[in-house]
Amino acid sequence: MISLLTDPIRHWWGYYRQRPFGRMVQLFVARIFRGGGDSDTEGIDLGIGLVLTLLALPGGFVSILLLDKYGTLLQWMRGTLNVDPLLMSVPDEYFFIVLSMTVTGGAAVWRWDAIFPDRRDYMNLVPLPISTRTIFFANLVAVLFLAGLIALDVNAASCILFPMVVGATQTKFLFFAKFVAVHAVGVVLASVFSFLAVFSMLGLLMALLPARAFRRLSAYIRGIVVVYLVTLLCTSFAVPDKLLRTTGALPSWTLLFPSCWFLSLCQSWRGRASPALTELARLALPGIAALTVVALGCYAIGYHRHFVRIPELAEAAVTAPKPRRSRVGAFLGRLVLRTPFQKGCFPFVWRTLVRSEMHRLVLTGIGGLGLVLSSQALMNAFAGAKSLHQAALSPDALSIPFILTFLIIIGLRIVFEIPVELRSNWIFQLMLDPDRQECQSLARKVVLTSALPLVLAITFPAHVYLEGLRVAFLHTLLVATWSVLLTNIVLIRFRKVPFTCTLPIFKQHSIVLLLAVCFGYLTYAISTPEFESSALTEPLRMIGLVPVAAVAWFIPHRLDKNTIDIERKLIFEESATRTIEALRLSD
Amino acid sequence: MLEAVHLTKRYASLPAVQDLSFSLRSGMVLGCLGPNGSGKSTTVKMLTGLLEPTRGVVQFDGHNIQDNLQAYRKRLGYVPEEAHLYPYLTGWEYLEMVGTLRGMASHTLGIKLDSLLELFSLHPHRHASIGTYSKGMRQRVLLIAAIMDNPDVFIFDEPLSGLDVASALIFKNLVQALGQQGKLVFYCSHVLEVVEKVCSDVLILRKGVVIAQDSVANIGQILGQSLESTFLHLVDDVDTRNVAHAIVEVMNAA
Repeated sequence: MISLLTDPIRHWWGYYRQRPFGRMVQLFVARIFRGGGDSDTEGIDLGIGLVLTLLALPGGFVSILLLDKYGTLLQWMRGTLNVDPLLMSVPDEYFFIVLSMTVTGGAAVWRWDAIFPDRRDYMNLVPLPISTRTIFFANLVAVLFLAGLIALDVNAASCILFPMVVGATQTKFLFFAKFVAVHAVGVVLASVFSFLAVFSMLGLLMALLPARAFRRLSAYIRGIVVVYLVTLLCTSFAVPDKLLRTTGALPSWTLLFPSCWFLSLCQSWRGRASPALTELARLALPGIAALTVVALGCYAIGYHRHFVRIPELAEAAVTAPKPRRSRVGAFLGRLVLRTPFQKGCFPFVWRTLVRSEMHRLVLTGIGGLGLVLSSQALMNAFAGAKSLHQAALSPDALSIPFILTFLIIIGLRIVFEIPVELRSNWIFQLMLDPDRQECQSLARKVVLTSALPLVLAITFPAHVYLEGLRVAFLHTLLVATWSVLLTNIVLIRFRKVPFTCTLPIFKQHSIVLLLAVCFGYLTYAISTPEFESSALTEPLRMIGLVPVAAVAWFIPHRLDKNTIDIERKLIFEESATRTIEALRLSD
Repeated sequence: MLEAVHLTKRYASLPAVQDLSFSLRSGMVLGCLGPNGSGKSTTVKMLTGLLEPTRGVVQFDGHNIQDNLQAYRKRLGYVPEEAHLYPYLTGWEYLEMVGTLRGMASHTLGIKLDSLLELFSLHPHRHASIGTYSKGMRQRVLLIAAIMDNPDVFIFDEPLSGLDVASALIFKNLVQALGQQGKLVFYCSHVLEVVEKVCSDVLILRKGVVIAQDSVANIGQILGQSLESTFLHLVDDVDTRNVAHAIVEVMNAA
């Protein structure tokens, strides 16, 4: 019976995928997943299956974590038995909406370069007897297919698990079915909206800007989108409560967050929306329709302007003005960078950080998180303070440079592991002495030159102005010392030139590392400022931090000293630790 | 003198190069010929120290290069088969990085780079990113990177790939000039005419084994043929003319 239905579909699919159009759609789908771009880049090729799994994971994990909130036994133990599950689920539903928008938008930003056909496609497809219009439609179908696939994939787990968790106390299947339907449509629409928003922004930029300006601006726009998505994710902690509490007209900022529209839409479909939320819900569906029209229009114009003109652009002269070199930078370079290794690799690492889009994106995401956490801390600092002086000395205000330096240091440590153009690392393999242990020192200099100027340039003058020289000096000294110690810790056994080694293999202790980062954040950016806040009024208390600093210095120092020579060797390839080593005696 | 002594390289017990021995004396330009899969690239990688031989040694001035790889590489200029460069660096930045890693003084480096970029017609493009360069321009960047520190040993792996006629002519004359200056040049190529013209000696590999090694003049004289005919005679089992006819037949088939 089933084969009667599936056989014609399989036959049709088998026929269709062998047609030129079908083959091109397959090609574009694979290209968008595997990366595009004109360079012969060896990006991070995760494979379609793994990408889809990774995209689906957050929704599943969060749903499972919510068991604690909705579990009947736990509710009974808390003494909260008569709860309205629909009302209780509003903040969580909002979170799922922003999560789906963030993950889908993030995926679209990540594959920004691959969404449109590029020069490689032009060179391979245009000489074939296929019209550029067919290429246009094939790519469009691939993009729309992927938008749908990602939207379904990102929300698949939460669409089943979340309603199951919420409906745990309900006996009627209808409650579950209705909840699934409304939630699924809401989050999938939010995902589609997010994808279309990024897609139309890309199309709009391509339609409006000349190719060179587009290339330059594109990185910044992607950065702004990432910061917006992180901000959107952070709104999940405060926005639902505000939406539910507002009785009259909603504040105008809700218009800027499409996540609010989709939450209102879900609420209105459940018949739980206030008049204000119903008004807001009316924006959702026309919003998607308008965005679809804009996206398609911009895509068509952008395609015509860029893809069709690729040969003209390729012929453009390859010249660029001489970059300016600052004398201060050159002087500092001479002062800080001693060996040819450092002199050669330090600019390479900085240029990669500044110019490689993948690294910039990751750093921008981490920077966005830093901005959000810092502004939250700043708001908290002023919330209960009676004066500027009190606010400036509060743990929240003091934590800002700690938050920022922590994220910069950890963020850089993470991006150092992301390889760039691996096939080009032959030059380092050829030139560098694997036995010279300078990688740690190089990485430390890069990290500290990124983190410390921030402390010196902003924190010190701000505190001199607000609290005087003594407090400013002590605070800056503490942040700088903590930054150096944290840098030493994160660079234990670091033995590669950043970006030149293959991706680390997932190890069993990765989860331990993740927990260590969370614990580190609590210690570094929460507990230290709390202690400091009380110690700044009585500076002698600061001595209490000396043993902590001594331990934090001693442990990495000791571990490094105990490392055997073979584990210090410069590497270009991460290899899994083998349980059994073949001796290859026959070779 | 650079010497390969009984070099053998196996990849998971499959031999890529077997018992390869030759020597490269001062002033000698040794061409290395062989069809795909003959072990040329493996040989080049062992000569540069990028691969360690399974058996045998590469000796430079009587010392195993693996004993002091850094000192050897300081005296080595290498042009790899494919121009893998960092596309977001400019030509100038890349060469400056290579020069610095080689330990060249920054003042000398700047002057040399300016002159070499000018001579290789890259000076106007030196501040554009390598990602925008053509294949020939990338190849010229690699050539500059190999020669700028005035090394004693040169290993060129298909150095003419993508170069325009003028640059290729300049390069061929450069190789001859390097030989005359007493440098050691190991030149891998598929282009037989160039090897015939540029190299003093030739080494022919087949399936990882040396099947002929002599001066270009002698190899031709032995069989009384050109280098191309000699190469085909020694290396290829296939009748190239028959294969070409078979291809045309397949093309014409309905």
